[in-house]
Amino acid sequence: MAEPTVLVVDDSPTVRKIVQMTLQREHIRVITAGDGLSALTSVADEMPAVILLDTQLPRMDGYHICQIIRKNLQFRQIPIIMLSGKDGLFDKMRGRLAGSTEYLTKPFDSAELVQTVKKHLVNWQERMPPQHEGMRTRLRRRG
Amino acid sequence: MEQQDRIMDGDLQTLGLQSILKMLALSGKTGTLFVHSGPETLSISLRKGQIVALREEGVPQPDLLMMLCLVNKLDPPRAQAIRAHAGGNMQVALAMLVERNWMSAAEMQRRLEFTITQSISHALRWGDGRFAFHRQLVPIESGMQPLDIDSTLLEALRQADEWEEIGETRLTRTSVARWLPEINNDVRSLGLSQEYIEVLCLSNGELPLQAIALVLMTPEARVARIMSHLLELRLIEVVDTAFETEVQQDISNLIIKCQTTLTRQQQSSNPEQHLLGLVTVLSECINGLLIHHGRYAKSLRGRGQIPYSEVVRYLERRFGNQLQLLSKQQYSILETTEFTNGRLDCTSILTLDKLVKGEQLEEFYWEAVLGLAAFLRMVFAELLRDEVGNSHTGRNLNFAWKAFLTEIDQEIQQYQVYRAQRNAQLSRGRDAIPPTPMGIIQNWNHVPENEGGPYRSPEPRRRSI
Repeated sequence: MAEPTVLVVDDSPTVRKIVQMTLQREHIRVITAGDGLSALTSVADEMPAVILLDTQLPRMDGYHICQIIRKNLQFRQIPIIMLSGKDGLFDKMRGRLAGSTEYLTKPFDSAELVQTVKKHLVNWQERMPPQHEGMRTRLRRRG
Repeated sequence: MEQQDRIMDGDLQTLGLQSILKMLALSGKTGTLFVHSGPETLSISLRKGQIVALREEGVPQPDLLMMLCLVNKLDPPRAQAIRAHAGGNMQVALAMLVERNWMSAAEMQRRLEFTITQSISHALRWGDGRFAFHRQLVPIESGMQPLDIDSTLLEALRQADEWEEIGETRLTRTSVARWLPEINNDVRSLGLSQEYIEVLCLSNGELPLQAIALVLMTPEARVARIMSHLLELRLIEVVDTAFETEVQQDISNLIIKCQTTLTRQQQSSNPEQHLLGLVTVLSECINGLLIHHGRYAKSLRGRGQIPYSEVVRYLERRFGNQLQLLSKQQYSILETTEFTNGRLDCTSILTLDKLVKGEQLEEFYWEAVLGLAAFLRMVFAELLRDEVGNSHTGRNLNFAWKAFLTEIDQEIQQYQVYRAQRNAQLSRGRDAIPPTPMGIIQNWNHVPENEGGPYRSPEPRRRSI
C-alpha cells in the first residue's frame, strides 16, 4: 500500500469534485462515492485511510453509514470526518454519537479541509489491518 | 564516528565547489561530498577521484519516467512497473530500464552524465552554503561509467556561464511555463527552429524548465535562453504555482459556499420560493466571482494596494457590456439590475414580490434565473481565461465548475418539469375544472428527480448552463 486514499462520500458532484481537486493538489489519492451503498462498497474494496462523509445522503444517511463502519472490526479504526450543512450542537452530537472522529460544517474552507485530513493521515499505515485484501481483489482471484 | 569520517568541511564562500572537486579529484578520494545551500542538498559520490553517483534533495525532482512516456520513449505501464521498484531514485530507474532492455546502456550513460552536469552547473552558481566530505560513505553501484571530474566541471562551468549570459531573468530551473491561450495560429509560420518548437510544445504549464532540459537532453541554460525568447515573442507565460494554488483555493471556497446555499434552498415549499432561492444563489455566486476577480485579475495583481475605485472601474468595464447585451437581447429583467461598487445589485429582483404577485411574479423570477445563469457562465469563463488560462489549475477548476453548474441545471430543470405539468393541467382545465393553487404546490412537491427521466426536454440543455 504505497499511498493513503481518502474516500469522499457526498451526493453533490460539486462537493466531490472540489474535495478531490483540493486533496489531489496535496498528492493525496481520492476516491468518491455518491451514496451510502457505493460508499460501503468502496470502504471494503479500497480500505481508505480517511473517510469524508456527508450527513445527508440518498437512501442511507451519513450517521447510519458511520455506525455500520464503526461496528465492523476491520474498518472501525478509519477516521470519519463528517461533512454537514448543519452546525447546531444537536447535529454535532448526533455525529459524535454515531462514531465520527471530527465534524466539519459546510461551507468549509479548503485549507481547513486539507489540514483536518492531513491530521488524520498521520500514522495511517499503522491503523491498516495487516495484509488487507479488498473485496474486489478477492472476487477477481476467485473468478 | 561521523566526526571521524568527515575529513573536510567548510563554507562555499571560503572554498568554492570547483576547487573542492578539483582537490578531491587530484587526491583520488573515495567518499561522498555533501553541498548544502538553502533547502537544497547535493551529494556527489566519488570513487578514486571520479564521480560515480549524484543525488539532489530538498527540491522536487522531475519524474524522468513520466518524461520518457511523454516523448513516447516508454510505455506508461512499463513506467509504472519501474516506478514501483525504483522509489524515486533516477539512477536506479535508469539501471532497471537497461536491465529490462527498454533502454540502451549508452543512452543511460548519456542521461546520467547529462543530469550530473546540470546539477553541478546549478550548484556552481550557489553564492553561499556549506560543504562536507565523508570518506567512508561509499555509494551503491548504479551501472554508470565513472565520470572524470575535470571534463564534467568544464562543461558545468560553461553552462553556468551561459546562465549568466542570459542576464536579468526571472527564470530558474524550477520555472514552469505554459502557452498563452491567445495563441491559436500555426507557430511554424513564425520561423522557429526545431529546438524552439520542442521547448514550446513541452511548455504545457506542468513541466519545470529542469524537466524539459532533461527530456530533450538540452542544457538547462539553453532551455532558459529559448524560454526567454519565447516569452519575448509572447508565445508562453511563466506559471506562478503559488498564485494558482491561491486562486484554486479561493474559487473552491466560493463554489462550496454557493453549493451549500443551493442545497439549503432546495427545501423551498413552493415554486416561487424555489426560483427566488435560485436568484439568490446565482447573484451570490456572481458577486463572489466579481470580488475574487477584483483580487486576482491579470491587470490588477502584483501592483500592490490598488485604489478600490480602479478595481470597480475595471470590473464594470469588463462585465458591464456583457450584462447590458444580455439584458437587451434576451433577458430584459436584467435591466433592473445594476453594477454598484463592483457588485451586481439584484435587490430589485429580490424585492419584486412587493410590486408584482401571482403568475407574473413567477414569470419574472424565471426570466431572472435564466438571465443570471447565462451571465454567471460568462463571468466565470472570462475570469478563468484571464487568471489561469489553459493551465492544469484552469482545467481542474473548469471540471469543478461544470459539476456545480450541473446542480443548478437540475434545479432549473425541476422547475421546467413543474411548469410543463402546470401548463398541461391548465390547458386541460380550460375544458374542465381549473386546477387549484394548492394542487400546483402539491405537484411541485412530487416532481420526480430528473436524472435523465422522461421529463427532460431538450430546452434546458440549450438554454441553461
